[in-house]
Amino acid sequence: MAKKLDIPNADDESLVRAAQRGAMPPYEELVHRHRDKIYARAFSMLRNEEEAMDLSQGAWVKGWQRLKQFKHNSSFTTWMTRICINLCLDFLRKRKRKQTDSLDQMEEESGGVERRMPVEEFNPTENVEREELRLQIDDAMLKLSYEHRTVLILHEFERLEYKEIAKAMHCSIGTVMSRLFYARRKLATLLISLKKERCK
Amino acid sequence: MKHEDNLRIQAWMDGELAPKEAAQIATLIEQNPEALALSEELRVVENALHFGEKSAVLDDSRDFYWSQIERQIDAEEPLPEPYATSVIASGNLLRWIVPVGSLGAIVVLMMNFGAMNPQPQSSGPDSTSDASVLATPTGLTESAIGREKESTEPGDMGVINFQGVLGSRRLSDPEDPSTLPESIENPNR
Repeated sequence: MAKKLDIPNADDESLVRAAQRGAMPPYEELVHRHRDKIYARAFSMLRNEEEAMDLSQGAWVKGWQRLKQFKHNSSFTTWMTRICINLCLDFLRKRKRKQTDSLDQMEEESGGVERRMPVEEFNPTENVEREELRLQIDDAMLKLSYEHRTVLILHEFERLEYKEIAKAMHCSIGTVMSRLFYARRKLATLLISLKKERCK
Repeated sequence: MKHEDNLRIQAWMDGELAPKEAAQIATLIEQNPEALALSEELRVVENALHFGEKSAVLDDSRDFYWSQIERQIDAEEPLPEPYATSVIASGNLLRWIVPVGSLGAIVVLMMNFGAMNPQPQSSGPDSTSDASVLATPTGLTESAIGREKESTEPGDMGVINFQGVLGSRRLSDPEDPSTLPESIENPNR
């Protein structure tokens, strides 16, 4: 007779295997354990609580529907995070207004002003409370386009390589490099200006 | 510094360069203050991001959050078997209707084409029968055929006169050289 699964104390892999056989309670436990991580990733990409909530729930629904395709090659949370990222990317692509290639956009793609801007020595974490820096980063991230924000998040937090980001975002490695460079320099510029404002 | 060098410095910091190229960039950073400053800036931004990125946390209770997911899962469950079967059956039906319909249309067109190329002996003055031959395969009803015959009476204005058309300009018949158009295929005309 099969041993009954002790859901609250079972590890992720056992829960996933039970859920793959069609059991819903183990999946509910997985949702409970990792919902904050998935929500946080959706929020970091969308910068909107309501949309992040909807898309993170959508990711869990997709996760359940595709659970049998999960081959245990990576951790369950990595797999779920990828689903969430793909959903967010689809959502952002659809939302993005169809724009003609404006000069600003072309500048942004190639690095624009940030590319030529002189490098300044600064330390945004110096003499700054963590909460204050969070607000600054949040503000700065909001000012980035979704493409620049996304490459930054995929690289810095998901630790994806350039080629993996290029695949996820349907663009070339060169574009990923340019976007990443632009995003970092733009972030540096914004943090410097925020710090200067604070010092006034 | 060139933009390509900036990107290579960034790639070096991200661990994306091959060992040989990575060694070149490491040397560049050691020797070039601008390259060094850029690498420092990129590192500071990276640290700031990890230190300061907002850690979003859900406010909803476990039950509420799960209930919404569960409802969506239930709503998107696979279709019940009988419905799925009927959809499959209708799919099969559609799969046959299209080619059979196309074949039927081709047959009708071929019959039409045959009727529009009458044998020479049938293209005489009494060609009202030709109209009926032409008309029938096109799917005209009996009454429509009747009207068609009526319309072929001489002097009936405003209606196409099949007799006139066929009588004055006989359609090409590949077997009859006299029906070929005036061209190199029929140099005797």
